[in-house]
Amino acid sequence: MLLGESRIVDALRQAAKDSPADETLLAVQRGGQTTLRFANGRIHQNLHEEDLTVWVKVACAGRAGVATTSSLRQESLAKAVESAMAIARLSGKHIVPAFHTAPHTHPTPKVTTYFPATVHRPLTEIVQMIRRLWDLAKKKGTDLAGSSVIGENELAVVGSRGLVQYQPFSIGGLRLVATQEGTSGFAAQAFRDIEALDEKALLARALDFCRKNRDPKSIRLGRYPVLLEPEAVAELVEWLAYIGFGAKQLVERTSFMTGRIGEQIMGKLVSITDDGSDATGLAVPFDLEGVPKQQVALIKEGTAAGIVYDSHYAKLYHRQSTGHALPYDEFEGPIATNLFVAPGATPHAELLKKMDRGLWITRFHYVNGLLNTQEALMTGLTRDGTFLVEKGKVVGAVKNLRFTQSILKAFSNILAVSRERSLIADPAQGFSSAVTPALLIKGFTFTGQTK
Amino acid sequence: MNAKSSASLQETIKSLKRRGVDYADLRWVEEAHEELVVQNLQVQHVSLSTTEGVSIRVLYHGVWGHASSCRFDAEGLKHTADKAIEMAKAVALDSQAKVKFHPVHPVQAEYRTPLEVDPFQVEMQKKIDYLMWAAQVLKDHSHIRTATAMLEFYRTRKIFCSTDGSLIDQQIIESGGMLEATAVLANEVQRRSYPTANSSSLSQAGYEYVKGLDFVGQAARVRKEAVTLLRAKECPAGTSTVILMPDQLILQLHESCGHPVELDRALGLELSFAGGSFLTPDLLNKFRYGSKLVNITADATLPLGCGTFGYDDEGVPAQRVPIIRDGIFIEYLSSRESATQIGRASSGAMRADGWNAVPIVRMTNVSLEPGTGTLAELIRDTRKGILMATNKSWSIDDRRLNFQFGTEIAWEIKNGRLGQVLRNPLYTGITPEFWNSCSGVTGKGDWQLYGVPNCAKGEPVQIMHVGHGASPARFEKVQVGHYASR
Repeated sequence: MLLGESRIVDALRQAAKDSPADETLLAVQRGGQTTLRFANGRIHQNLHEEDLTVWVKVACAGRAGVATTSSLRQESLAKAVESAMAIARLSGKHIVPAFHTAPHTHPTPKVTTYFPATVHRPLTEIVQMIRRLWDLAKKKGTDLAGSSVIGENELAVVGSRGLVQYQPFSIGGLRLVATQEGTSGFAAQAFRDIEALDEKALLARALDFCRKNRDPKSIRLGRYPVLLEPEAVAELVEWLAYIGFGAKQLVERTSFMTGRIGEQIMGKLVSITDDGSDATGLAVPFDLEGVPKQQVALIKEGTAAGIVYDSHYAKLYHRQSTGHALPYDEFEGPIATNLFVAPGATPHAELLKKMDRGLWITRFHYVNGLLNTQEALMTGLTRDGTFLVEKGKVVGAVKNLRFTQSILKAFSNILAVSRERSLIADPAQGFSSAVTPALLIKGFTFTGQTK
Repeated sequence: MNAKSSASLQETIKSLKRRGVDYADLRWVEEAHEELVVQNLQVQHVSLSTTEGVSIRVLYHGVWGHASSCRFDAEGLKHTADKAIEMAKAVALDSQAKVKFHPVHPVQAEYRTPLEVDPFQVEMQKKIDYLMWAAQVLKDHSHIRTATAMLEFYRTRKIFCSTDGSLIDQQIIESGGMLEATAVLANEVQRRSYPTANSSSLSQAGYEYVKGLDFVGQAARVRKEAVTLLRAKECPAGTSTVILMPDQLILQLHESCGHPVELDRALGLELSFAGGSFLTPDLLNKFRYGSKLVNITADATLPLGCGTFGYDDEGVPAQRVPIIRDGIFIEYLSSRESATQIGRASSGAMRADGWNAVPIVRMTNVSLEPGTGTLAELIRDTRKGILMATNKSWSIDDRRLNFQFGTEIAWEIKNGRLGQVLRNPLYTGITPEFWNSCSGVTGKGDWQLYGVPNCAKGEPVQIMHVGHGASPARFEKVQVGHYASR
């Protein structure tokens, strides 16, 4: 059950008022989440967790300090403020506090992120749903593993000069892996409103991929045209955000965007934005510094268009924060976490037909984008469905493949983008997502294959 | 946690017994994490994070229920216990197969990290001065764009009690840090790190560990190597003999041995997230995982290891378990429940990331046992090859067979001597083929232990601290290449 705006904000306001620091910023994330995991015909993990974290950032005489606690009690908050001040006193003059504790002049996006039906869904109903899915899968001779998540969160930020932000969130999600004789198929959905979740469609997708994935064959390694499903696209785009769309990576010159803003770095069919106010994704209207999220064009028709900032890097660049701060005890710098890849004009069903000979990839596994971040060179494997396509039709399954590929180059060779998009998110995390289409790419380099 | 609070935890366990649970355990956990980062001679970040809460796990009518909360006053404990039973009941109604797990001998025990200097008692200014001094040496070249020096310290206190009658009080202290230099010349960017890359290397020890890392002494080498890499030759592509240094070999162990020997993975319980394992139970005691030189041990009793403890999170004593002996796969990392499923005893590897997480099978300290000889001898014995050091990137398939690793730096080996520096090296292979190609593991004198603080597994994702040790080892006919754009 939600603690509610007044209970959380009042506690933070009191702590900010009592704080002897020049400026005090407090952020709270609290939530309750139920996770069921199932495999081998039984629910093997059955967890309800209630969590609360308070981050405190203070500024004293031009110095800053950070502390956290897991309680909203005034004595705990006061202790955290005291710890942050002790750190600030010792931090030297090198940290320049850049955060704001007064209300922001630009408005916070109004977006509905809490749906009571999601969090009030009875646990017994979820258990029965899993049982129904098992039974349906069994009729097809298939085993089913997966997880179900439902939860709620509250995010609040209070500053000593009057800043107040509060937003409740709900989340529901289901992941399914259908398995049969060593082959598998995957499908997943996550939404703020559980009513949008279509478990039967998910099961059908997982079963279909599992059926198609039977008897996978080896193929010659090399360069192939590929059709990437939205799950696969999302993983690549999230890595692009991690290695390249944040101000810290530009400062350190490790980003593929460094010195290239305004240049064409991908094909014209690619546009990527970050937008925390768009409820098509898992919207989050402000960051942990309380800054309203701005819509940021990252890649505009293939051109490097912009990056995201938190208060610290905004000050360094003489810009405004775009509302992309991480928790205060992190130092990864700002990260774009509400990603959208623009849709194309081609119906998804037509994309496969456009392939003369190539590979259809349902998802990737264990992608690593740290190989050469300036080129966005990444490696990873295909998983739960890799199919050989000839003359627009699936002709067989292929063993999981390893790619080693510059994503800048791959995204410079996009032939078509699907009209439809999917919301891809980890429901257990709940604050980040990517809304992505399927992509038909002219060439993708495969350098290894599983046994 | 005072005596009164400890009594309330035990009272909660007693009340669960009265309510008819088959089994219950409770963990109260308090954690503190201090982190200090100096970048380009500025204090970039200093924080102290604390968190405290309780986790209750019940087996009710043969079904697990688990709940956790940061409220642990009497009312909070009752609420969490009720929730755990409610979770189990909801599944028990569906009459699924009942959980079986073997009993353990109840203990009243205490474990404390042996240490010389409590890092939380060391003045923060002293820590910042140490980082500043190292960062100054690290930054001292015009090509060094970013010089980062970092320290971090963890203190975890946990009290475990169960209906078995166990009461275990543990306090674990970890210390660690890292240096990282990023060199830039035109469009070329290269990085060197110490002692490991991408995160701190941790040790279950006090402040003496980070002083022993000698950041100031190491910084000049790290800086020099980063600058050298800017103009180095690309690592050649092809098939080669490769010597891996311990700071790369630990990731190889982690991904291609540590994860596939987790029994929950092998039994299919991680299929929806991390994946399965090629090391299925039918392969126990007969599968040749590596050459006869390959001996891998999971040792939760190893001094200084990040995977060291007194008891795991279901009350099983820490153990030293051979996993691969003379190249043969002989044991799993397991829990009381998973081990029962294959007719074995738990190897004591059930651990949870904090108070709000459910324990799952995790690595302890999974290490390659030392062989014989020295690194100098191994290089002398190699006519042509490549020596690779310090992990940069990592990737492996969902059954842990096809892997690819990149390292920060490599050196050519020609006629038994180290030659020029090579940049952007990577190597790839198939797990058992790779370990079966092992043609040399050097001795105890070269063996090094590292703590890896970022092992991800489970849903919701849990981040675990694990340990790995290794001596340099040589592998034959390895496919190597470089990070050139494709």
